[in-house]
Amino acid sequence: MTGRVIVITSGKGGVGKTTTSANIGTALAKSGSKVVLIDTDIGLRNLDLLLGLENRIVYTLVDVVEERCKLKQALVKDKKNPNLCLLAAAQTRDKTAVTAEQLKEICEELQEDYDFILVDCPAGIEHGFQTAISGASEAIVVTTPEMSAVRDADRIIGLLEAKEEIKSYKLLINRVRPNLIKANDMMSVDDVVDILSCNLIGIIPEDTGIITSTNRGEPIVNDENSMAGKAYKNVALRIQGEEVPFLDIDEPHGFIDKIKKFFGIKAKA
Amino acid sequence: MKDIFTNLYNKVIGFFQSDKGDSSKVIASNRLKLVLMHDRTNLDTLTMQKMREQLIKVISRYIEIDQEALDLNLEGEGDAIALMLNIPVIRARTLEEIEAIEKAEEEELAQKAAKDSSEDESDEEEADDSESEDNDEDAAEDSEESECEEETPEVENSDSEENSDSEQASVSGKQKAKKK
Repeated sequence: MTGRVIVITSGKGGVGKTTTSANIGTALAKSGSKVVLIDTDIGLRNLDLLLGLENRIVYTLVDVVEERCKLKQALVKDKKNPNLCLLAAAQTRDKTAVTAEQLKEICEELQEDYDFILVDCPAGIEHGFQTAISGASEAIVVTTPEMSAVRDADRIIGLLEAKEEIKSYKLLINRVRPNLIKANDMMSVDDVVDILSCNLIGIIPEDTGIITSTNRGEPIVNDENSMAGKAYKNVALRIQGEEVPFLDIDEPHGFIDKIKKFFGIKAKA
Repeated sequence: MKDIFTNLYNKVIGFFQSDKGDSSKVIASNRLKLVLMHDRTNLDTLTMQKMREQLIKVISRYIEIDQEALDLNLEGEGDAIALMLNIPVIRARTLEEIEAIEKAEEEELAQKAAKDSSEDESDEEEADDSESEDNDEDAAEDSEESECEEETPEVENSDSEENSDSEQASVSGKQKAKKK
């Protein structure tokens, strides 16, 4: 088996790389694929929190690299889904603890047993980023429809293009707020895609459910009623090669529709 | 009762559809596009300024242009980046003017070359050289000034004619500039 190594990156911090990693990973595992999530944000790890695995971590990526344990020992199985594993980052060290070559070796080893290796990349374009992308052949660039995030995404796309090993990269636009877009106060998905001229893999609507799901340590894809959860599931399907139409998240349309509906009811009554 | 709702409905629709022109989204897109052009090409403000100055020098040789209104920008569609130069033309120079300017430039170049070659020699001589150069330059300036004075009326005439047409020259050098 040769698994696919996909790095999830953004340049800017706080756009939802880790949330995206946790959700895509969970969605892929739910559909039956064997998945490893690697947190490369050494010193600032959070992927364990989003998956609710913070209490189960014994060994980390750094322990594997420094040969204090075997790779298999460091993989923490998810609570619900045995197909999903986490290789956590060390919290007490910094990015220099792991080199690009070392991470590449780990990815190669994992490729033999798993379908997907998702690498959660730290923010920035320095050492941590270079390390995170070293083992990957695909990338997902996460951005939001904000200027600073789009600019940083453009920089990341430039760096990914220069990297021969990265065969394909796709754009995931996170925290889209349809009501702001409708009021012309936020760049739309089309605007961002046009500016970055990059293929799209997902549009995730802003969802307050993300906060509560993070609080509980349970990815939002487990919530059947969540729009963001559905959108992440669709991303997972697209990664697996299925053609899924993008969700219609035109909220204000719904708002006007609601008024229309209200009208209808009035007219009938 | 229905009228109230119709009114409300229209107001809501109007709220969402109005002010599309200068909405913050459009401002954001435009600012972002500009900043990305510069990020992608690695052209900083200083380099653009230098390019601008040299372009003005070259173009001014052949046409009189409105230097203040000259607009030099990078624009792009997708991966392709174009250098857009928009120059309001005041009037074309006559053949005699062009020749005079070219001659002045040649002299300047010759002086520069002479200066460069004499740089190896002793400080004393160099000081002498620069003095004499200063004199030459002054003379050159004087002659240029007198030329301009002679032609002032002509300039005014053509000004009034051509400004109404608001003639503009636009140069576009489209080049594929792959992101680096």
